[in-house]
Formats: sequence, structure tokens, C-alpha cells
Amino acid sequence: MALKMTKAKSGNRRKEKRIVKGLGFCGIAADANAVEVDVANGKIIRINPLHYDRMYRPEEFNPWRIEARGKVFEPAMKSLIPPLSLGYKNRVYSPNRVLYPLKRADWNPGNRNTQNRGKSGYVRVSWDEATDIIVSELKRIKETYGMEAVLSQSDGHAETKTVHAAHGCHRKLLRLLGGFTLQTRNTDSWEGWVWGAKHVWGMENLGQMVPVTNVMDDISKNTELILFWGCDPETTSWGWGGQLASRACYWFTELGIESIYICPDLNYGAAVHADTWIPIRPNTDAALQLAIAYVWITEGTCHKEYMATHSVGFEKFREYVLGGEDNIPKTPEWAADITGIPSRTIKVLAHKWASKRTTIAHGNGGPYIRGPYATEPARLEVLLLAMQGLGRPGCHQVKMMEWSIYQQHQRNPWPRPLFIPHLQAADRGWKYEDTPRQFIPKCLIHDAILNPPVTWWGTTTLSRDPVEKQFVQSKYPVDGCPEVHMIWTDTPCLATCWNDSNSILKAYQHPKIEFILAQHPWLENDCLFADIILPSNTKFETEDIGVDIFGGQFDAILYEYQCIEPRGESKSDYEVVCTIAEKLGLLEEYTGGRSVAGWIKHGYKTSGVSGHISFRDLKKKGYWVVPTAPDWQSHEAGMKGFYDDPEQNPLTTPSGKIEFYSERLATNFPDDKERPPVPHWVPYGESHQESLLHPRAQQYPLLICSNHPRWRIHAQHDDMTWLREIPTCKVKGPDGYLYEPLWLHPSDAIKRGIRGGDVVKIYNERGEVLAGARLTERIMPSTVYIDHGARYDPIVPGEMDRGGAINTICPHNVTSKHATGQVASGYLVEVEKVDIEELRRKYPAVFERPYDQAAGLCLERFLERGEAR
Amino acid sequence: MKVLVIDITKCNGCHNCQVACKDEHVGNDWTPYAKPQPLIGQFWTKTIDVERGTFPKVKVSYMHTICQHCDNAPCIPACPQQAIYRRDDGIVIIDPEKCTGSRNCLDVCPYHVIYFNRDLNIAQKCTLCSHLLDKDWKEPRCVDVCPTGALTFGEERDLQHLLNKAEVLLPEHKTKPRVYYIGLPKRFIAGSVYDAKRDMCIQGAKITVCDVQSGDEFAVASNDFGDFWVDGLKVGTFSVKIEKEGYHAKQIPSVSTDKDVNLGDIELQCVG
Repeated sequence: MALKMTKAKSGNRRKEKRIVKGLGFCGIAADANAVEVDVANGKIIRINPLHYDRMYRPEEFNPWRIEARGKVFEPAMKSLIPPLSLGYKNRVYSPNRVLYPLKRADWNPGNRNTQNRGKSGYVRVSWDEATDIIVSELKRIKETYGMEAVLSQSDGHAETKTVHAAHGCHRKLLRLLGGFTLQTRNTDSWEGWVWGAKHVWGMENLGQMVPVTNVMDDISKNTELILFWGCDPETTSWGWGGQLASRACYWFTELGIESIYICPDLNYGAAVHADTWIPIRPNTDAALQLAIAYVWITEGTCHKEYMATHSVGFEKFREYVLGGEDNIPKTPEWAADITGIPSRTIKVLAHKWASKRTTIAHGNGGPYIRGPYATEPARLEVLLLAMQGLGRPGCHQVKMMEWSIYQQHQRNPWPRPLFIPHLQAADRGWKYEDTPRQFIPKCLIHDAILNPPVTWWGTTTLSRDPVEKQFVQSKYPVDGCPEVHMIWTDTPCLATCWNDSNSILKAYQHPKIEFILAQHPWLENDCLFADIILPSNTKFETEDIGVDIFGGQFDAILYEYQCIEPRGESKSDYEVVCTIAEKLGLLEEYTGGRSVAGWIKHGYKTSGVSGHISFRDLKKKGYWVVPTAPDWQSHEAGMKGFYDDPEQNPLTTPSGKIEFYSERLATNFPDDKERPPVPHWVPYGESHQESLLHPRAQQYPLLICSNHPRWRIHAQHDDMTWLREIPTCKVKGPDGYLYEPLWLHPSDAIKRGIRGGDVVKIYNERGEVLAGARLTERIMPSTVYIDHGARYDPIVPGEMDRGGAINTICPHNVTSKHATGQVASGYLVEVEKVDIEELRRKYPAVFERPYDQAAGLCLERFLERGEAR
Repeated sequence: MKVLVIDITKCNGCHNCQVACKDEHVGNDWTPYAKPQPLIGQFWTKTIDVERGTFPKVKVSYMHTICQHCDNAPCIPACPQQAIYRRDDGIVIIDPEKCTGSRNCLDVCPYHVIYFNRDLNIAQKCTLCSHLLDKDWKEPRCVDVCPTGALTFGEERDLQHLLNKAEVLLPEHKTKPRVYYIGLPKRFIAGSVYDAKRDMCIQGAKITVCDVQSGDEFAVASNDFGDFWVDGLKVGTFSVKIEKEGYHAKQIPSVSTDKDVNLGDIELQCVG
């Protein structure tokens, strides 16, 4: 198994072996961030980038080369991993690991105490006892209600594994038992694109521009201006594909391309790459966009000929912009008051955009696309792109991450590999196709449990719904199906990643939820509400196979040997389900009669690489790099086909063109004021009252902006000791607790008597969250900023959190009445200083819990007193 | 002779170097090069984000502190046990087996890059991963993990093209560091000029910044947004003159660059 044996000359004399792993955190059978792990004496010594040329000569994998403006850009000979991967040893050896099966101390089948979820401690039980309880609960639920009373929470992000998939392994077992109710994921991080932009330009399935083939090459050659709009290329890209995005930004600057960042916060990309930062109040982008349209329309700087041949419905949009509909011309002066951007700056931006070849760059999440009514800025952006001739050289929309998502070349803007390897056939987790007859969107879990019945539009699968599904209404409970009475989660992150999670946590405490089973490597977030917690493990503890496809440099297939023995009594997520299946007498049916080794080999055989490298050589070398396609330059860039001939290359909209006015929305939802046929500026409405223009702002005068986190991937990585030492990651309170930083402008802090390092509470009607004040010039006044995804640490479950899980208080309702996305940024709060000693006196039991100075929340914190680890 | 070159202008602040150092040295015993680094609290190489300017003229520079592996290392003679030595390749090592915890080296190091390990009673610092260089590694961990090429390690004679534009920290201490910096942040004076009456940004205004002491002048033009950034200034006092044809010139007599300066939005009045 050893790939490379080296004898250390110094220190402990030991043999090191080098093992290749993927350390991307998307978690859906497509990995990234390939690393080499040096292991000795059963311990991880170090994690390095994968050096592609260690086992192969560069000419064997044909490195690409972009030449533009007399300069050259080439991939590095190593993976460009982020610190989240580099320091992952922290996560493997975290004191937060669940090492044994745990049972909530005051839960048993005769006395469930559901109201104490989030409060009770845990006791250690044996695997045998835990699985006895699980099997008997499953049988009882099935007999009492039917299997659809089991809610499967099994999606989302995690370590990316194949056979040992972190998410969805239990679905097959539940199906063998007779079915389940599925928690379907909404199109999170893409909300505006999916629920808005698809109505303008199609672009199935995400609503973001596709194809983006060779767009990076074309930008390098032709683009003059890039608008990084609500985009942080130094953050959201990391866990998905590493840091090629960062190198690209330096490259763009080297080429003389101007970079303008439009966002409320000077994000980490803007901090080092921006030529100009245009701060904008959270969730007011639609007003800015309308003002830009106003300038172009009134000054005649639109691409009229293009619009005539490539779009429909412009007249209705024009009328709205000029004020014909509401007597409000959408002038720069009008937008200035709303956005906080001086009207003169808006005019310059409009003029520059109209005169320079402009591309818009996005990450996912961010302040732009997850707010109330996120459909509107998304739709308006497409219209603005259309007004400047979308698809002509240099004019694109490009995403700085998730390259090759869904294993599709057309979603990769970099020079393409010969082929994209895939492992879906060996993946033991969930599949896109497996939605059962009863399902609940993740963003409606609270209402479904607390206030059934509920109805909604669309959201039947994970981000694969075609737009037509948005006109289909579903309901829960489905006629003839039971309500949910048991939850089985391998995705225990809703507390810190979903909408108004305080309501979700109250739902978890409801007596009708008789049993909650969690399987997870770390005792965190929703685990604290589970009745039984099974210890799953990390990918370092198992043997598997993986593909690195998101990095943009080179795709590769990885043979992932086991690095260390499983910690404690942990098992992989797949093995956890196998153990339960065995007790149910269903193991053979569950595994399909294949061993783990058999599934790995099956993965290799179906991955597409078998014609290029033998299984034996792959196991020997540990990885194989897919060569760059020799003819990559022969494919035209981006939307050039549509630009040149929209009749031959139509969009998937009903008209085949860009739709300024959506006839389909008008027909289906004639009275929808929140997502009308022509995109509007919607400050507040029936679903949301989260604008400074709404009277609520008198009580909650700050707009909070919450991006995907810099030092985490959503709920992952919050225990990473070496990241928690970084001042932008955590703020040490006077009590020694490491609080999640809240960015506050000094002018807002002074008004509230807050100093840097103070513990503050962020609050609105939905609850209170503690944070550490970080006074900074990087956030605009009247706006505060916090990353999402900090580990939930309840003071009062469902009401007050100490960990900084800001999603506990984000808006309850979905994007808008007919758009079932979640809202996670751009809402109203107030902030005030708290006396932490007073809280300690009020909640002594909570404050006396053990705390790890390095890693923060730890297993002991949630064990019953006196319970030995 | 080895050198490390840190190009601040290429640092994106990812902290990989800082984390890689911990990955290599926490919990790993590389005696006789170094004993294990404690889990937290020591930063043999440290990335520090320096927030510059005020809203909305803000930039971030990432400063790096690390043992400078000085040719005239003050720590070497300061050690009563002669536990600190300089290798033939220029790397300075604290021998963890000879160190008896006098802490003298911590006191004399002007760069504050030596840490004290109470549990082991020894002083500890960066070894440039010489335990790896002495095997088959070409670079220390921090350099290997840098995604942008901000860190370069190699032979002094091979890196002259970088050293020619680099500087060292605290040259006045005459320690002769083997760690060099490109693009160390200086001070900037920034602002934005506009015409309130016409509600427009003033492009192409000439901004002249004059060092009051030396009389040296630096001039830039305002950009499309009326913004200007005069960067690379030293700490001192400057006068600022803003001129644009058709407008009355504006003079700001005394601007201190103790910190980076944002003069804010500056209105120019039309002539006539």
C-alpha cells in the first residue's frame, strides 16, 4: 500500500508513506483540492498540495497555456489548496469528534422529553444498544404511521467521498424498508439565479450563464472591465476548487483589466484586487441596476440592434425604468438614496460599462443573490448584460468557482481537459433522481413541522428542476401520507445554515418528532437536538476513490488509501448504515453484494479513465492527471453562438430570446407583485419587510450582510484550531471564549458604546446571537457583516445563541411568494453591547460547560456531567 | 546561501504559510532541528492583515513576520549555552537539545520572531524547514503551499533579479537579514474629487503631494470616479494640491501620514 517509502534522517526514525486524497468540501462525488498526505506510525504527519509532476512528466498531461496581450498564464504544477484543506489535520483530530455512539441522557422510548432537545447532555452507549434502539424505533414508526413518517435529511456539503459518501447513504436502506419523506434542498447559494434569471434567459439548471467554455481565455484577450458583483473570489472559491481564482485575479490586473467590486463589505477579494470598491447597501442592487438602465436608455447607449434580434419585451421594461408605470423615473439620484452610492458614481459606472467590454464575475452566496426578492437583481443583471450585447467578445457572466460542476465541460471557463472523470456509479450516497412522493423543501422544514399543511412552488429535486417545475405547486403532507415523526439526519447543519433556524430548532423540540437520529463525525449544530448520535468518520480513516474536477488547472483521478485507523468507535457514513442494515437483516440487499473494494473498482471501471491507466498503476501511483484537450482552443467562447445567430442558437426561454417581460410569469402568477413579469425594485412586500425604507427599520436600523464564510465552508471547519487563531476568524471575548466576529463601522459602534473586542448581541424578533465586535473600515456605515456557519452554541435553544450562528435569526419566509429559495442576507437587525458576566449569572449551567481554548466547542461540553469520554 | 523573498504585492492573505508551519511543526518532533511547536500561540511565520485607510478608500496589505535568518544574528552571541548557530547555507537554528531556556534570544531579537515554549523550557522559531531541505525538499513548507508565488526560496545568486527590488526589515539594526521583502506597504493619501453643481466626478484632476520637509513632489491624476491614490509615501507631513482646468485649485496644507489617509470627498468649485 505504501506509495513512497522514505527513511527519515532525523527525529523519530519512522517510515513515512504518502497517500493522495481529495480535500474539497462540496461533498457530491466530485472533489477538488487534491493533496498528498504523509503518514507515519499511524499518524498524519503533514498535508501537502499534490504535485502533479511527481509521478508524471508535464508533457504527459499537456499543461494549458493562455496567451493574451503579450503575456502568458499557465497552471501551477501543484494543486492550489486553501488553508481549509491544508490544516485539515485539526478536523480529523478535533476534540469535537464523536468517538462513540451517544444517547441523549433524558430520552428513552418511554419518556422522550422532546422539549429538552438542545438542552440535555449525552451519555455513551454501545453500538449494539444504539442500533437496537434505532431498529426498534424504525419498526415502531413503520407499524404506527408508515415509513413516510421518517424524514431523511441527507444532502448538502461535506467532505467529498465516493463509496463512503457523507450524505444520503441511508436513503437506500429506508427505501428497502418501504420509503421515506425527503428533505429536498432548495437551490441555495443560487436563489436569485434559479428563481429569477431563469425566467429571463433560461440557462438550465442554475440560471447562471452557460456555456462558459473558454471564457477565461476570452476575458484575457478581450475584456476591459470586470464587475465583481457581490463576489468574493478569495473566499467562496476555496472549498470548491482552491485558489486558481486568486491567481486569475492577479492575472487580470497584470493584463490591465479594471476590477470594480460592488458589495457592502470590502471582501477579501476586494481587499487585494479592487481598483475601485463601490460599497452598496445590502440588497439594494436592483435600484443600482435600474439606474444604470436609466442612464443607458436616456443617453441611447444600449446595443439596440442586438436587443432587437436577441430579446423580447423591452418596451415594458423601458416604460418601468422611465417611470411610466409608477411615476418614479429610476434615475441615478433616485438610486443614490436607496443604495448609498453617490449619483455621480452611478453615472460613471454606467458610462464605463457602456464604453468598455465588460464581464460580470460571481461567486456563490454573497450579499447579492440570497436576499429577500433576490430574483430581481438576478433578472436585472441579465437584462443589463443584454443591453450591452451579451456574448460578444469580452462580454460575459463568469463564475469564479464550481468549474465543471455536474461534470459538464460547458460549465468550465478554463481550457478543457480531454474528458471529465466521474464516479457516480460507485457513489453510495444520494442520487439526483431519487425524490419520493412526499418531500419537504429544506427552507420549509420549520413550517412543515410546526404549521402543516404547507404548500410551495417547485423545489422537487436538488437544483435540477427545469424552470417549468416552478409553476407546479406541491404540498405537505401529501394526501394519504403521514406527517413526519422521525428524523434521520446525516446533514445536521440547519441550525447554522438555514433560514430562521430558531424556528427549525423549535420544530425539532416538538413532541410529534418522536425520534431524531444523527450520524456525523463532530458533535455540532443539529446534533445537539438528536436523541441518538452515531459516530461517523473522516475520509482519512477509510479507503476510497475520488476525482478532482473543480480546480480549473487539471482534472485527476485519485486512489485514496486509508491514512489512519478510525478514531474511537467511528465508522464511515456508509458503514454506519451497513451496521443498521445488518441488524435489520438487509445487509446483502443494501450493499448489492459488493464490498468496499468492489465498489472502488467499479468506480474506476466506470470513471472514464480505464483506457488511460490500469487499476494496478492507479493504485501504485495514487493519481492520474487527465491531459488538457489538444484542441481546447477550437471551441468558441461563452455565448458567442447566440450572439452571432440567435435563431440557430436559441435560449431555452419560451421565445428563445432574452425576455425583458416574461409572458410565462404573467400568465402563471398574474397578481404577483413580488416577482412581476418585468423585474422591479421591491424594497418590501407581503413576504419580507427587511428594508431600511420599511417602518421596522426604526426598531432594527442596521442591515446585516452575511456571505459564505472565509474560514469555513458553511458549517464545516469551525473547530479548526489554526484558523481560529486568525484575527478575522474569531474575536476573543473578555471571558476567553472565541466569538464569531461582527464587522461594525466605527461610526455605528460609537453610537452604541461598543469597542473592538466587546461581546455584542445581534438581534431582531427572531432571536439573539452573540458575537465579538470587530471595528473596521471594511464595512459601510449602517451595515454590519458576519459570516454564516459558526457552530451553534445555545444559551436558550431556539432563542439565544452564543456561537454566532447568524442564520438562527435570518428571515423566516422564502425568497418571495412563488419563489421557494431561502433568504440569508440583507435583513434588519440591531446590535448592542452585552454584559457577559450578567449572562453568566443568569445561565450558570450553560456557562460552566467545558470549553476547549484551541478548538472551542468540544465533545465534553455536551456530555452529561460525570460522563467519561 | 539561502534567501527567502516575500512579495507583499502578491499576497492574498490566505494564511497558508502560517497554517503549513503549524501542520509541519505542531505535534511533530524534528530534533535536532526543532522540537514540537505548541498547538496554538506560536507563529514561526505569521501573516498579519494591515487594514489601510478609511471607508471607502480602504485596502488591506498582508505583512509577514518570520525569523530573518540574519547574517549578524543578535540571538547567536546572546545565548549563554551557544545553542544557536548558523548553518553553512545561512539558516539560523536554535538547537533544541542545547537550549536551557535563558530567553536572552527573545530579548535581543528586534523582529520578535522567537517564541518561548514553557512546557519544554526552550526557545523556538522558524528553521526554514531545514529538516526537509536536508532530505529531498527544495523549499520550506510555507513556500510550497503559497498559491500565488508571493514567497520565493532559493540560492541568493539565483534570485538577484528579485533581490534588486527588495528591501529588508529594520536595516538600522544592521542584522543583515536573509529574508527580503518586495512591496512593503508605505503610506497613501487618497480621496475623491467632484463637482457638486453638475453632480459629476472630476476626472483627470492633477493631485500633487509635496513632502513638507524635503520638498519632494509626487503627482497623480484622478481616475474616472474622481478617485486618487498617492501611494508609496513615507511617514511625514505633506501638503496636497488639487488642480483641474475650469476649477479653483484646492490646497490642503498639512496632512500627516502617521497612518494612511483618506481625504474623503473633495468638492471643487467652478471658475466663474
